[in-house]
Amino acid sequence: MKRKVQSVVIGAGPAGLAAAIEIAKAGGQVVLIDENSKPGGQLFKQIHKFFGSREHRAGVRGYNIGIQLLEETKELGVEVLLDSPVYGIYKEEDGLLVSYVREGKEEAIIAEKVILAAGGMENAIAFPGSTLPGVMGAGCAQTMINVHRVLPGEKVVMVGSGNVGLIVSYQLLQAGAQVLALVEAAPSIGGYGVHAAKIRRAGVPIKVSHTIKRVIGTTEVEAVEIVQLDEKFNPIPGTEEILEADTVCLAVGLSPMTELAWLAGCNFTYEPALGGHIPVHDENMETSVPGVYVAGDIAGVEEASTAMEEGRLAGIAAAEALGCYTEDEAKALKQQVWARLDALRTGPFGQARFDAKKHILDVAKGGK
Amino acid sequence: MRVVNHPFLPAIDEPDITIYVDGKPIPAKSGEPIAAALLAAGIRVCRKTAKKGRPRGIFCGIGRCTDCVMTVDGVPNVRTCVTPVKPNMMVETQNGLGSWVDAK
Amino acid sequence: MDEVFVCRCEEVTQEELQKAIADGAVTMNELKRWTRAGMGLCQGKGCSRLVMNILAKSTGQSPADVKPAHYRNPVRPMPINSMIKEEE
Repeated sequence: MKRKVQSVVIGAGPAGLAAAIEIAKAGGQVVLIDENSKPGGQLFKQIHKFFGSREHRAGVRGYNIGIQLLEETKELGVEVLLDSPVYGIYKEEDGLLVSYVREGKEEAIIAEKVILAAGGMENAIAFPGSTLPGVMGAGCAQTMINVHRVLPGEKVVMVGSGNVGLIVSYQLLQAGAQVLALVEAAPSIGGYGVHAAKIRRAGVPIKVSHTIKRVIGTTEVEAVEIVQLDEKFNPIPGTEEILEADTVCLAVGLSPMTELAWLAGCNFTYEPALGGHIPVHDENMETSVPGVYVAGDIAGVEEASTAMEEGRLAGIAAAEALGCYTEDEAKALKQQVWARLDALRTGPFGQARFDAKKHILDVAKGGK
Repeated sequence: MRVVNHPFLPAIDEPDITIYVDGKPIPAKSGEPIAAALLAAGIRVCRKTAKKGRPRGIFCGIGRCTDCVMTVDGVPNVRTCVTPVKPNMMVETQNGLGSWVDAK
Repeated sequence: MDEVFVCRCEEVTQEELQKAIADGAVTMNELKRWTRAGMGLCQGKGCSRLVMNILAKSTGQSPADVKPAHYRNPVRPMPINSMIKEEE
């Protein structure tokens, strides 16, 4: 006899937490499942203050937002299952079967609505020596210094000048590491000028049109060879430089972790601005599989604030579909969320994401 | 190295337990992942790969990439970046996919 | 050692992938079976994107048309004994 619930949210990061809170607020039954032993996703390593409006909790450090969301789930009595990796999702006669491992045993729940909020994972790039101990994701370094309070190395070369590369470089300095250089293959810096200025003032050279040629070392990183690139991104011979680094951090983007969406049979569309193949969804964040919703980085890599808003949207929509809201009540709530999402997707950084999301909605309506 | 000084994050607790890495005792803090204790002790090699015997260490830090796996208390392929330390835990540099012989 | 490992888990190099593609493995499913790229402990989380890009470039396809290899249940590791039901 499988347990039946109204809704399951998979992933307890900002999107999943926000979704579960909305369903519970509406009076719906929700089980929040996460494969990690602590909820909060990547929020707890974000020690910097978020940008945005007051509604988006601007000026609040990421980990405090995480604490606030967790408090809300506790107050609302949301059931949270941790250390429970979801390994399967099936459409069955009487609902969506979600299978997971819990305390060494396989279990399953049948849900009317499932919200996939599994997040994203850091990208790797491959170059000679890229698998040596000491080469790691920038997010990994961030987790180590901000959550676990240990340095993963002392002399770092950062690869990638998007906001993650810039912010983590700064946080490495705060933690006492040296950042010997930040290399960026493109001819210009990818992230906000204010972040770049901060690390430059702290003495970190930002080398645009540069990349890593190879990493040198026997059992771990001992030195890093960088090289300059021409306008066609080809290495310019003779411009090689050796940096005596012991650590390389790769800040080269994230990709959505979409295994469950593929497994559920969702349609996908390719959006480079959002990290690759993205599950098609409508304005309710519902995919091509009825009852399956997506929210957060799994629906396109953006940021924690958009993740929370998409989570809210999916939660409200799922609650509406479960009968917890009337059409008018839900419409009003969803409009507010969409207004905030649109506000977050503006400016030189937001526009590409706005266009990509618009395209996804078009595809959901039958466009190409 | 443990991050003792920070502009605004709170002070950290002292290590309170011991774990053993390839037989060698290292200090650890209750509740932290094995990988944190290893990094604090300057240990960055977790395993040697199955095909070519190459060294690997922590890569993603959040339990997704499996580069950081080691044999822990006889059980192979334990993700050290998400597994908390326990007093007197036996952590071994893993060869390839490890072995279940003598596993508990 | 100037090898470039694309699939970190199974130690599949860029060279090996390119050779497999030249030998006829022109879809992600074939490439996975041929080289084991994507069949290791992380099940393609680390290499899928890189392998798709290599495949797209080598076969002249748009990355939009290269879908990842087929996903099957279980998409997270399950201990075998989690599936054993206790006898009443």
